[in-house]
Amino acid sequence: MTTTGTAGETPLFGPDSRFSGFFDDPRWALAIIRATVLEAAHPQIGAALVDNSTFVAHPWRRLRNTFLSMRRMFGADPVVREREAARLNRLHARMSGSDCRGRAYDAMDRATRAWVVATLFESAVTMCRLSGQPLDQDTMERMYAEYRAFLAALDGDASELPEDLDDFWRYFDRVVEDELENTEAARVILYRLFDHLPAPALLDGAPTLWAAGRAVVGPLLGAITVASLPEAYRRRAGLPEMPGVSTLMQGAYCAAGLARFLPEGWINAESIVEALSLSPDSDDPRARTVAALAARMKRASALLRLLTPLSGVLHPDPAPSAGVGESRRSAEEFFRDVLDQTGDGHLDWPDLAAMARELCTRLDLDEPEETRLYDAFAAWWRELQAALDTDGDGRVSAEEYAAAVPSLAGPALIRVAEVLFDATDKDGNGTIDADEYRTLFRTAFHRDLTTTDGVYSQSAFVSDFLSFMSGRRTNTAYDPLLAGA
Amino acid sequence: MPRHVACVMDGNGRWAQRRSLPRTAGHQAAETTVIDIIEAARAAGVEWLSLYAFSTENWSRPGTEVDFLMRLVRRVVRKHAPLLLARGIRCRFLGVADSRIPRELAQDFEDLATLTAGNRGMTLTVAFDHGGRRDIVEAARSLIRSRTPADEVTEQLFADHLPFPDTPDVDLVIRTSGEQRISNFMLWQVAYAEWVFPEVLWPDFRAPDFLACLHTYRRRDRRFGGVPPRTMGDPS
Repeated sequence: MTTTGTAGETPLFGPDSRFSGFFDDPRWALAIIRATVLEAAHPQIGAALVDNSTFVAHPWRRLRNTFLSMRRMFGADPVVREREAARLNRLHARMSGSDCRGRAYDAMDRATRAWVVATLFESAVTMCRLSGQPLDQDTMERMYAEYRAFLAALDGDASELPEDLDDFWRYFDRVVEDELENTEAARVILYRLFDHLPAPALLDGAPTLWAAGRAVVGPLLGAITVASLPEAYRRRAGLPEMPGVSTLMQGAYCAAGLARFLPEGWINAESIVEALSLSPDSDDPRARTVAALAARMKRASALLRLLTPLSGVLHPDPAPSAGVGESRRSAEEFFRDVLDQTGDGHLDWPDLAAMARELCTRLDLDEPEETRLYDAFAAWWRELQAALDTDGDGRVSAEEYAAAVPSLAGPALIRVAEVLFDATDKDGNGTIDADEYRTLFRTAFHRDLTTTDGVYSQSAFVSDFLSFMSGRRTNTAYDPLLAGA
Repeated sequence: MPRHVACVMDGNGRWAQRRSLPRTAGHQAAETTVIDIIEAARAAGVEWLSLYAFSTENWSRPGTEVDFLMRLVRRVVRKHAPLLLARGIRCRFLGVADSRIPRELAQDFEDLATLTAGNRGMTLTVAFDHGGRRDIVEAARSLIRSRTPADEVTEQLFADHLPFPDTPDVDLVIRTSGEQRISNFMLWQVAYAEWVFPEVLWPDFRAPDFLACLHTYRRRDRRFGGVPPRTMGDPS
């Protein structure tokens, strides 16, 4: 694998790279959204995203995974990079299919993967231009070399991207003009994702505040992103032009760019992403602080509701309120929060594959454990399909699931639990200790967990997994893992 | 001093009838008493106060009266929420399971409970849509669901499955208007309670009457089924 560019100079990867410099830059947040839209506008990537990605239902988990992956890919350690590239390749090799018009897509297609890297590079350059601090030619060329090296680390070589920066712009314009389409995935990102963005785990306790903020920021982000897209694409995709939006967009980039005057270290993307994905009942001190804050906000909003004048009309409660101490959830909720990982309203193989993917990522699995886990999930999918797909369309709808609310704990699901246990039990001693538990659930043993002598036995693990997956028990450690946004 | 005092707020209807007013006027007049008693109990150092506001059997009352009660309770809860918060009273609602309870009222109950959850003063439990037998049945269900072996079930363990298991046993129940019935009220918790039955109707019941009941309680000789301790001639 040839990952080094020009010898003798500063290395292309690591803390001194241009890429690392942008990592904690707030403009990068806007640029990443823009890059993602440009990726999604590519028909192949768009189809793969719509089918497989969990970014609609679980955007924050997805963001965190992407972030950690980028950090590994651009880190200084070549061993970590090679391992991460192999993992990404395995992950993408499991994604292929066909879009709604029957065109095949394959997440391993080399030209398509080059386009992903191209959008990232172009968005980084554009973000600097839009915020009034354009990069000089040398920096740009150096950064281009970094991104090509990134592609090479993934693909073996970077031949799909032009060697020269001048040729790159011609390549980029050609793809924008000829290949990009108004795909469903791009529309979802521009118009649906931000309007329905679920609260990150940390802010889950303040739904009113989150919804209010989202109602303002969501449409703004959409408009800003549209305005920052290349003119040629906006025309082709028929995106709206609204007066003042381009000023707003440049203002947003400029404002984000002002963060460079903040003292160094004030904005650290990694700690922000990490903090956002903390579950409030985790044992991290930051989560506890926020949980305390959230409790205060909950009280404040309760007081506010009690103080608002009476509306007058009383409605009989349509559903009986939850009984005392009940921690079950309805079949619909379970379907939406846990089973339908891609958020398309159907349970399909990509949903279960997304679960397997998340578990593999958490446990940082290598082959052959990864394939074992995927196989177990695939067997479970066949079991589910046979039991639930009554209309024979190959997937399970929320109604089919709710109607059956079945004996989900079949042999294949038990097998999943056992394989997951083996994968979590890294040292293979037949029990899960506190460290192994933390790797999977990112928190210490819960008090209500049935542990003996500080270890979690296989039978307890399997029965807890089954009661989550079939008994629909909430408030277990699995909630932040599979249901969290 | 009794630790846990419960009031069965009886006599609103009769109070109104005696004045040739509609029954609803009696419920309205009860509001003043409720606030007065909460304040009196807090000042007297009672740690737990429970009020029986609405029983599972009260649903059989005329629809208009039930509707009126729902509205009234909602207004009272909202009106006094800031006061309860400021006085450090922790409020919670026992029961509240029926689907006929308006959504808005259930939300207000939840909000008030959330708002005052952190208070460390007196705990005020309002039994609304409450039935003592139902709570016991629910506890039994919960025990069975948790797959507790029959031999392991003790009184303490059973009590842990009741709603609000931290509630201590009731020491004193005050039932106004001279009626002398239990009426399915907190059956498990009143096992060893002393009962007083003042003749006064609930809307006329005031802080001095409440203190008089506390006084009666203090003169009672609570034996919990044992024999009275010898107070005369005991060498110790």
